[in-house]
Amino acid sequence: MNSSENNSFDDLEAELLALGAMIDVPPPPADLAATVRARLPEPVPSRRPRWTARRIAAVLAAFLVVLVAATPQGRAAVVSVLRFAGVQINVEEQPGPLPTGLPSPLPGERRVTLEQARAQVTFPLATLAALPAPDDVRVADGGRVVSMFWPGVRLDQYHGMLTDIWRKELGPPFPESTFVNGVTGVWIPRQHGLEYLPAGGGPPQPMRLAGPTLIWQRGQVGMRLEGPPTLAEARVIADSVR
Amino acid sequence: MLVARYSAVAHRTAHLLGAGAEAEDVVQEAFVKAYRHLAGFRRDSAFRPWLLRIVANETHNLTRGRGRRAELAVRLGQEPEGSGPEDPAGAAVAADRSARLLAAVRALPDREREAVVCRYFLQLSEAETAEVLGCPVGSVKSRTFRGLRRLREEVGRELL
Repeated sequence: MNSSENNSFDDLEAELLALGAMIDVPPPPADLAATVRARLPEPVPSRRPRWTARRIAAVLAAFLVVLVAATPQGRAAVVSVLRFAGVQINVEEQPGPLPTGLPSPLPGERRVTLEQARAQVTFPLATLAALPAPDDVRVADGGRVVSMFWPGVRLDQYHGMLTDIWRKELGPPFPESTFVNGVTGVWIPRQHGLEYLPAGGGPPQPMRLAGPTLIWQRGQVGMRLEGPPTLAEARVIADSVR
Repeated sequence: MLVARYSAVAHRTAHLLGAGAEAEDVVQEAFVKAYRHLAGFRRDSAFRPWLLRIVANETHNLTRGRGRRAELAVRLGQEPEGSGPEDPAGAAVAADRSARLLAAVRALPDREREAVVCRYFLQLSEAETAEVLGCPVGSVKSRTFRGLRRLREEVGRELL
């Protein structure tokens, strides 16, 4: 199993994570909170002047936050953007309605066999040991994306992590960070909007409804596993990547 | 209160970074210090790595005070159940392998061991690890990498 010298440490990392989970640490004493509280000094009345510049700035900032949050334009602007493994994830405080309609095919999407797909892309294509052979394999956008389909499950593998390839729109909660095969991954537990950003910079595909999704990367290849309803199920599948 | 929410992770961190049986004292001291310095805590940063950094510093002070090397004094618990039917021989091999990997982690130089412990045993991100250990993210990457390489040299040949 030990391959070339400069290969990644994925297997060792996974083993360390598993080892960490096995390590027993005695539980903290139950009365810790009380002990700490007993050691804290009584609150001392503040001797600081009432209106320091810092305080004025804080009040101003708070006022601005209220102002921004109270206007519709301001609300739409409250967004956190997370970029991970070729996916741009926009988390909006007040997301718009979820998109409807069937997913339209990606640009230049063609049905192929697994072997044809392997021959047409420049990156190493993964298969999943936890699932049977995919029902359907498609190559799209000049070999940039390979999608594999099983009932209720879709795996996208795509090349290049420096540009955004997908864009997701969702509401709270913020996506959960997790580990897949010893590397960091992101789990989005809810349904959300998904759009594909074509390689040539053309107009994005119409946004479609996507199910719970696990995102991680395997070397230089981005992986997007959509469909398994829980993180545990998604990880079982993702960990079986070969 | 914050103590209730973070005591488990703080305790685990102190333990794994080498406080051993004195982890309770370290955590207690860390919470008291954290409370005193709450004003210095920047609102825009995460509380957890900030607290864990205090825990890490306290652990350092403790082990330095004792004049000996921080030890990773932990033992392996039972493997989570439900891993399917396994033959006892296979389980014994797996247990032996885990014990040897743990021994190898223990034998790492301090800096590499801390990075490996934070990244994998505490499952912190690189950025969180950098904050906890008080070093740049680049150092976390290089220490982790050197640690992994050393671990692979120690146990990798026959195991992986």
